[in-house]
Amino acid sequence: MMRGKSGRTHKFAESPVLQLALPAWRSRLVAIFLLASFGLLVGRSFYLQVVNNDFLQEKGESRYRRDLEISASRGKVTDRNGEVLAISTPMKSIWAIPADAKLNAQQAQQLAKVLDADAKELARKLASDKGFVYLQRQVSPEVADRVAALKLPGIYQNKEYRRYYPTGDMSAHMVGFTGVDDKGLEGVELAFEKSLIGHAGSRSVIRDRRGQIVEDVGSIRPPQDGKDVRLALDSKIQYIAYSHLKQAVADNKAKAGGAVVIDAKSGEILALANWPTYNPNNREHLSGGQLRNRAVTDTFEPGSTLKPFTAALALENGKFRFDTAINTAPGRLTIGKATISDAHPHGVLTVAQVIQKSSNVGVAKMAATFSPQEMWEMFDAVGFGQTSRLGFPGEVPGRLRAWKSWRPIEQATMSYGHGISVSLMQLARAYTVFARDGELLPISLTRIDEGPVTGIPVFSPQTAREVRAMLEMAAGPGGTAPKAQVAGYRVAGKTGTAHKLEGGVYANKYVASFVGFAPASDPRLIVAVLIDEPSAGKHYGGDVAGPVFSAVMGSALRTLGVPPDAQMTIAQAPTLAPEAGSRIAQPRPVQAKEKL
Amino acid sequence: MLIQALDTPRRAPSEVDYALLWSTLLLLFFGMVMVYSASIAIAEAGKFTGHQPAYYLVRHSIFLCIGIIAAAVAFQVPLAAWQQMAPWLFVTGVVLLIVVLIPGVGRDVNGARRWLPLGIANLQPSELMKLFVVLYAADYTVRKMAVMHNLKKAFAPMAGAMILVTVLLLKEPDFGAFVVIISIAIGILFLGGLRARYFAVLIVLLLAAFAVLIVVSPYRRDRIFGFMDPWADAFGRGYQLSHALIAFGRGELFGVGLGASVEKLFYLPEAHTDFLLAVIAEELGLVGVLIVVALFALIIQRAFVIGRQAVALERLYPALVAMGIGIWIGVQGFINMGVNMGLLPTKGLTLPLMSFGGSGILANCVALAILLRVDWENRQLMRGAKL
Repeated sequence: MMRGKSGRTHKFAESPVLQLALPAWRSRLVAIFLLASFGLLVGRSFYLQVVNNDFLQEKGESRYRRDLEISASRGKVTDRNGEVLAISTPMKSIWAIPADAKLNAQQAQQLAKVLDADAKELARKLASDKGFVYLQRQVSPEVADRVAALKLPGIYQNKEYRRYYPTGDMSAHMVGFTGVDDKGLEGVELAFEKSLIGHAGSRSVIRDRRGQIVEDVGSIRPPQDGKDVRLALDSKIQYIAYSHLKQAVADNKAKAGGAVVIDAKSGEILALANWPTYNPNNREHLSGGQLRNRAVTDTFEPGSTLKPFTAALALENGKFRFDTAINTAPGRLTIGKATISDAHPHGVLTVAQVIQKSSNVGVAKMAATFSPQEMWEMFDAVGFGQTSRLGFPGEVPGRLRAWKSWRPIEQATMSYGHGISVSLMQLARAYTVFARDGELLPISLTRIDEGPVTGIPVFSPQTAREVRAMLEMAAGPGGTAPKAQVAGYRVAGKTGTAHKLEGGVYANKYVASFVGFAPASDPRLIVAVLIDEPSAGKHYGGDVAGPVFSAVMGSALRTLGVPPDAQMTIAQAPTLAPEAGSRIAQPRPVQAKEKL
Repeated sequence: MLIQALDTPRRAPSEVDYALLWSTLLLLFFGMVMVYSASIAIAEAGKFTGHQPAYYLVRHSIFLCIGIIAAAVAFQVPLAAWQQMAPWLFVTGVVLLIVVLIPGVGRDVNGARRWLPLGIANLQPSELMKLFVVLYAADYTVRKMAVMHNLKKAFAPMAGAMILVTVLLLKEPDFGAFVVIISIAIGILFLGGLRARYFAVLIVLLLAAFAVLIVVSPYRRDRIFGFMDPWADAFGRGYQLSHALIAFGRGELFGVGLGASVEKLFYLPEAHTDFLLAVIAEELGLVGVLIVVALFALIIQRAFVIGRQAVALERLYPALVAMGIGIWIGVQGFINMGVNMGLLPTKGLTLPLMSFGGSGILANCVALAILLRVDWENRQLMRGAKL
């Protein structure tokens, strides 16, 4: 039947009429098929652009939307006059997306050359399977521009900052430094991290495949630059302190040294120098010794520099007066099994002379009249055994043992600065009680602009003035540190020469120190100097630390324009006969008292 | 009354199909604008373009000028003359497809040898071959009309010719042109009355061959898998398609604005050629896509209407040519847009009349001119004029 039908169809198709006409249904079918497929396109397009667009846009954003950090610069650190001590300079970091950074041999070589990097190391970084690698950080803008000019795929740059310290090693311990991620690691940079640190902003951008920003999307969070910190430090005085200290350490073949200058009016730290130091701009070969901010973090047995405190407490208790005679003969004093001795036997001395001549026996006899508790309270009140609360990293409280465990011999040795340890900064601060009519001043790293600073009363003004007079005698002819004299200014101060403790035993090594202030008539500056292990023959505080004090104090007072209160001639002779010393020593306290 | 009616001034019937003409010109112009927009970034960044942002625009404009001049010339050629030339044009096309395969003569781009360098521009023989196949298949069908029921006589010679063309095209390889040319040939044979039963067999055979090709050739299999789920390997096989889809998604209804595409900024490869529609979708949104689809649909509808008019006028060759051109534009347009939208696997076919490419624009312009010529001849005949 099918055959029959198809046979008819043959004949039908061969008919001349139908031969000419193309079957209409066929063209209609093809046209409908094509137009229907176009309908499919419309449907698909609607689905992609209106229905599923959120998903697709999200996919798109994940490919070319980036949240960029807008780097904020770290605040400046300046000295009290605005001179820059630490500043952030704009640098670039060069980074790569290893998957995109397909460099040929020539390009890789060019990049290594421009970055001055090892080609193998660079190739290793670019072969990493991480999504992001730093090729080099803290690249100068010039080098970064040359990298950009190479137009390498997958290699990008970010703005970052490099910390620069214009004063270099001079104020390194004061200012400290930051790490590569711009966070403070030492010194003021760490102490004031919270205000110095900048808060990076962010922006969302669409980037083309080559990393170029096309447009911003969403809102921009602006960066907040860090706040500047204005230190109390005076760069000129810092330079003075640093250079004299450096010289003294070299001259005395000492291991280390420190110097602190405090404004006696405000408690501001005008200078803080240590030796050895380092260059904060190039910290490649840095040792722990160079890093140590000794004036703050190291404690030592202060020795005789503590005697004025004992004398002050003796005066304060009313058991002694300025001119109370104390028999120090024969220069030795036995307490229990131990014996205290003076370097030179002195015989009968007034309280003032005990300080002037630095008699251990005399001070121990005064201390014997105190209860351990009142002596401990005095030490505590002048700040020993507690940190100075500067916020400096590594600040130490020093060692002040609880009074209940004190034995008489320990109380005696503590009266002249042994068996107790302090930092140079603590010692300098403690001297504010003598420089300021008995008040202990809080000390400050930052400049203080508002009103007069008040301290905590420790001694009566009368006591403070009397001790001040004693200290002036000590620094004068007949005292232990005539070399501490300053032309044009009356100077008050005390030497310290302490044996170093090594493994619990006093070794034949010394710590020479001098703490004092000037002008004695109206103290403006307190200078404390410490020379650790002088080994060029001299080791007495008066010989080793005294001249540093003198030089620093003199230059600093002149720098500040403090009016002189004495003759412009140098009153000291290199060596003075003890008789001359005592002769001159006598009228001085009278003079001082007249002034009170 | 009658005299009065005859005296009424009648509006002169138009000489050409303005809807078709304007659709074509609109697509050409729209294509030029979008080629410029899509290519500006890569042209500015490219070394071989000399960093000139208008590199592709200038070339595309020159191609358009050449194409329109060629179209004007082609419009002057009667369909009878085209029919006479058809076998020779087909032979010329085959020769060009052979020449392009000769090492050192044909030019390789991305592993495909599809271009003949002609000094300033390259000629892509497969683009011309699409036109030649329309002209030749129509001529063949008309000649074999009497024996259309006979498989051996009607189909075998054409099948032989098509196998030759297929082998040459797949040698390049140019899979997209292969699909379009086979569709044109089969479409015209179908319109010409080749028995439906053969088509069923043919379609099954083609599907089988297609499946074998995909299994045998890893390069095509990769493209298939990328199309199935572009997000599975979005940075590998699915890279191009996933970016095309993102472009559609970003466009929404009205687009991100002309020139504001992000995808064209080095993310989407071939943005100015095969993936031009994705850039249109991103910059002009669903509205832009609908305009393009509508204009193409209009051209196809006109091609078939003109074809049916020719049939009514008993002009079989022009009728098959007109509908053949409709099939060509329709199939190629559908495949290109379908690829852009992830409906079809990535082929390497341009969007007719719009994408960047000299040979394609030239062939498309001449084809549309021939279509307009068929219509013009229809109108002349309907008025009683002689050709």
